Amino acid sequence: MSSQNTDPAAAASTAALKGSEAGGSAARGSVTKRLQQELMTLMMSGDKGISAFPESDNLFKWIGTIDGAQETVYEGLRYKLSLEFPSGYPYKAPRVKFVTPCFHPNVDEQGFICLDILKDKWSALYDVRSILLSIQSLLGEPNNDSPLNTAAAELWENQEAFKAHVNSSFQS
Amino acid sequence: MAAPVSIPSKTWELSLYELHRSPQEAILDSTLVAVSPRSLHSELMCPICLDMLKNTMTTKECLHRFCSECIVTALRSGNKECPTCRKKLVSRRSLRRDANFDALISKIYPSRREYDAHQERVLERLSRLHNKEALSSSIEKGLQEQARSRGQRVKKPTQESDNTTFSGGEENGDAHSHLSHDSAPLPQDPAPLPQEPAPFRGPLPQDSAPLEAGPSSKRPRLSDRGSSPPVAEGGSLPRRLREGSASEIELVFRPHPQLVSCQEYSQTRYVKTTANATVDHLSKYLALRIALEERRSRQVEGEEVQEEGRGGGSSLTNVSEKQYTIYIPTGGQFSTLNGSLTLELVNEKYWKIRKPLELYYAISKDQPSPSHNPPTPVPSPSNNQHT
Repeated sequence: MSSQNTDPAAAASTAALKGSEAGGSAARGSVTKRLQQELMTLMMSGDKGISAFPESDNLFKWIGTIDGAQETVYEGLRYKLSLEFPSGYPYKAPRVKFVTPCFHPNVDEQGFICLDILKDKWSALYDVRSILLSIQSLLGEPNNDSPLNTAAAELWENQEAFKAHVNSSFQS
Repeated sequence: MAAPVSIPSKTWELSLYELHRSPQEAILDSTLVAVSPRSLHSELMCPICLDMLKNTMTTKECLHRFCSECIVTALRSGNKECPTCRKKLVSRRSLRRDANFDALISKIYPSRREYDAHQERVLERLSRLHNKEALSSSIEKGLQEQARSRGQRVKKPTQESDNTTFSGGEENGDAHSHLSHDSAPLPQDPAPLPQEPAPFRGPLPQDSAPLEAGPSSKRPRLSDRGSSPPVAEGGSLPRRLREGSASEIELVFRPHPQLVSCQEYSQTRYVKTTANATVDHLSKYLALRIALEERRSRQVEGEEVQEEGRGGGSSLTNVSEKQYTIYIPTGGQFSTLNGSLTLELVNEKYWKIRKPLELYYAISKDQPSPSHNPPTPVPSPSNNQHT
């Protein structure tokens, strides 16, 4: 398993591929449409604990937030994430990373997340909502077998100490 | 490694629907079942593009539906599995066309193009609305902020006195001056004034108040109105006017009974405008109004009248606030109003009755009456058919 879910070169080449295939603007149009649909659904659903919205006028870059789930060491903390959508979206996964530093076995110091659905297990059916919910549940249920942050993976055993560390190091 | 941590085990639970579903009986009679468009939409939607299915393809094994284009692209660019359930999809041959489903959709939405256009409009409206939403929410916040600070200013006096609302600290100064200067023109019984000085001034002894009070308290009340209209109304004005003073004012507008003959534009007009509009504004509005009405009546009544009334001074660009003079009835007399006065000021200064302001108008004396103006050629609509 690669250590990061981001591979700029691969993303760029897919974008180029997609562009040459379907005519750049048409492809971009369909991606825009899908992102608009997602935004509408998100706004209608009003999920508790997650939110996402385009960063500016650029629909291809969103900012999301995740609230640490109850009864996890992240309870009461709100994390900000950035989501960048390639022009091959939704056939290609968005690049998702934590903007708020997150001490977690599967998140590295740059905020990159090791999560299978953002890489080889990506499906075109995933959307912003399911990504954020997945990351929210990943917070409480890390995969300690392939840690990005080994110190966090080791400390996970001791939830008290882990929680204390998360809270003391948290900077929104 | 005996940490008492219970890591929740991953279980793939069946959904409520899956737990409870049972075979549905076929409907054989003419029973109609109503289905909400929303639930229908999720059935007819492609889960990849989130749009209505187009050239439906169904997976042969797991029976999930996608647009032909969407599933082909998905298989080409991703894993060879069903995007919905991850069942292996070796190639396009694992899919089949679902013509029945396409037929169903075209039965429900006969015009695909119309549907698409509608979708586009909805999305467009959403993004527009969204921007407005952001704007209006920020405006709302601002208003709340204002209301809060206003609430703080008003709260204390209302608690102490009866239902009369006071605002600002100035009338508290006035209150002291009323109590100590009996010569000051008291507009009314000072009873509803607050018993105590405003809280932020602290409990001053009453006789020291005149020194403490602002400059306006020493002058007669009427003269300081102009500088601070929203405050210092005391109990003299109807509550309605004070509340509306910042925004709107209603007035009844009639021709001057002595200066205007009944035949001429003798119409009572009801006007509602912002309180900070001036008499000049009103006058110009009137001139414009009358010019428009004259023109319209000429057009309606046809040629004959048109010839007569042609010199109506009705070229709308000539309209000026000098054409009409505005009067206010004061004790059986009519006084001319200065053009620069705001209507709010007029209301406070001359009217003072719990009734909409009444004003009168007449053509200015030094101004030739509009109908005697040199004829302005008005392009006459060719209504020869009339005659």
